[in-house]
Amino acid sequence: MRLTGILATVSVLAMVASPAMAEEQTLKIGALVTQSGAGASWGNGMLRAAELAAEDVNKDGGLDVGGTRYHVEVIAYDDAYKANEAVTAANRLVFEDKVKYIIGTVGSAPILAIQPITEENKVITMTLGFTAQALSPEKPYTFRPNPTTAEVAQPQIDWLVENQNIKTVGALFPNDETGEAIAEDIAAAYKKAGAELTAKEFFERDRVDFIPLLTRIVAQGVDAIELDGNSPVTAGQIVQQARDIGFEGVIIRTGGPATQEIVNVAGKAATNGMFVHSAFNPAIETATAYQQRYVDTYGDQMNGFSPFFYDGTKMLFKAMQEAGTVDDTEAVKTALENISDYEGVLGTMNWTGEDRYGIAHQLDSPFYIARVEDGNEEIVASCTTSGCE
Amino acid sequence: MSFLIAQSLINGIILGTLYLMMAIGFTLVFGVMRVVNFAHGEFYMIGAFMALIGVTWLGLPYAVTLALTVGLAVLLGALTERLVFRPFRSDELSGMIASLGLAMILQNGALLFFGPDPQAFPSMVSGVFRWGALIVPKSRALTLGVGVVILIGFYFLLMHTRFGRGLRALVQDQQVATLYGVRLELMYPLGLGLGVALAAVAGGLMAPLFGVSPFIGATPLLKAFIVVILGGLGSIPGAALAAILLGLIESFVSSFISASAADIVTFALVVGVLLLRPSGILGRGEA
Repeated sequence: MRLTGILATVSVLAMVASPAMAEEQTLKIGALVTQSGAGASWGNGMLRAAELAAEDVNKDGGLDVGGTRYHVEVIAYDDAYKANEAVTAANRLVFEDKVKYIIGTVGSAPILAIQPITEENKVITMTLGFTAQALSPEKPYTFRPNPTTAEVAQPQIDWLVENQNIKTVGALFPNDETGEAIAEDIAAAYKKAGAELTAKEFFERDRVDFIPLLTRIVAQGVDAIELDGNSPVTAGQIVQQARDIGFEGVIIRTGGPATQEIVNVAGKAATNGMFVHSAFNPAIETATAYQQRYVDTYGDQMNGFSPFFYDGTKMLFKAMQEAGTVDDTEAVKTALENISDYEGVLGTMNWTGEDRYGIAHQLDSPFYIARVEDGNEEIVASCTTSGCE
Repeated sequence: MSFLIAQSLINGIILGTLYLMMAIGFTLVFGVMRVVNFAHGEFYMIGAFMALIGVTWLGLPYAVTLALTVGLAVLLGALTERLVFRPFRSDELSGMIASLGLAMILQNGALLFFGPDPQAFPSMVSGVFRWGALIVPKSRALTLGVGVVILIGFYFLLMHTRFGRGLRALVQDQQVATLYGVRLELMYPLGLGLGVALAAVAGGLMAPLFGVSPFIGATPLLKAFIVVILGGLGSIPGAALAAILLGLIESFVSSFISASAADIVTFALVVGVLLLRPSGILGRGEA
């Protein structure tokens, strides 16, 4: 009799517990980012953004989508900034891990290489890749939650050319899709601003010695050196070596937040007076709070791209909730496209890019020009795509 | 134009000296032990991290750090010979594969310990030397100066000491050398130790110029390969000639044409030398 009672109680508990347990599922998010080599600080910033966004929903009991709670798990793979490594990782994520959402890739060549896989399988990607080819109506599942050179270069360059009396500029770019695309954008932007990109050098990404190239550039008597398109570490090496050979002109980085890493590599003295693009305004409390959380969690300085991917991942979660599904990526994609005036940690975010790319999958957000003093950014101008002041 | 020629010449000599430091240890280890040491780039990386730890963590003077790096690297090399290479002695292929495995272990060990992000290395000196329009960064002049001193010391050790004579005898003919009393049990670990020390001190010298991360060994290893192939595997004078030649080619082609062209010219040169002189510029043919 006693045994019968115990069995009955267990049965009742099992019946009660089963539906609740069935509702707790795992949502796998892929992080296909660069974790080794020159682009590692960007990749780690993206990965950690996804982890922090996942932590937010997990600590509240999981992401609630259509009455089901999902524990978010981030599965990370390193592409080493290489297209072939990215393809291998994308295959694993899509076909073995069965993910439907990927944060990544960092580079332009890797995103172009994985898009045949992700688009074919309706996997939503959030890429950092700067190439214009990453976004198009034929690639409806790719989004870019960070502004690129194409969005931010012109207003910043207009302001810098006018305020720093710049006439000629030299630049070094990586010899790949990212470098080519940025070189074109930058050259056009300087020309439109009334200056000229008179010295342009391309190099392989694993290069560390820039003295011969800088010698050639400096010999042409340029007023400024532009760093856009280079990874944080490479940019730091260029700054250090440019100052080493006595370049005293203006150093500019009009895209790709990387100030802290550049200062780490080049040192405070070499970076003093450098003008950088910044998406981060310390006056915005949510931005500062995210930065503090990042530093407290990882013990590293935050890369400036990280908050974009934190917001991007949170927007992705919101889209899943609004679509009421995590499986139907077509519905999630549409919900994501329809998010407007999203209040992210960096400010108000909207999708843009219809005119430039033919599809509004490009994030639009406020940005700034900062001057580096003693290793820190000091904002000197606030910008929108229509200009800086 | 004359300014650019002179500047390229200076840049090329500095670059060539740096390549020589890497290549000479690599070719020495091959000459003595007949091992193609794929872990040579990782020993360079470890030397850079040793210098970083000495200067930034322990606050030691740079010169003291470099001296400690040499000492620790000799010990590390001797230990590596005993644990990794000795079981595969006289088996070149297995030794080569063991060195590949060692390279992976060292790189991933550094990755686990230091993380993937590059570490900042403070500049040891700042400013430039100027002669008219010519500019030499003091940091590079320091690296060049210390590098030359080390290479002179290495030359003295090799040419004017009993240990050096033993090493040279092993490079020339192992059997005859052992018949004349050269002790392999002593010369192998010390030979590898010396090779590792040269790579490590090169890493320590270049760290302030190029930074430090677990992945910095790949490019110097590739340059060392190019230099020893051009100069002749096992030939130290050949390595010296090839290193300076490579530095000058890279500097001049980068300055006058482009960086990509420099890589093309370098590899075309390697292919050309291999076609005309398969054993390298000063290399010996196989016996």
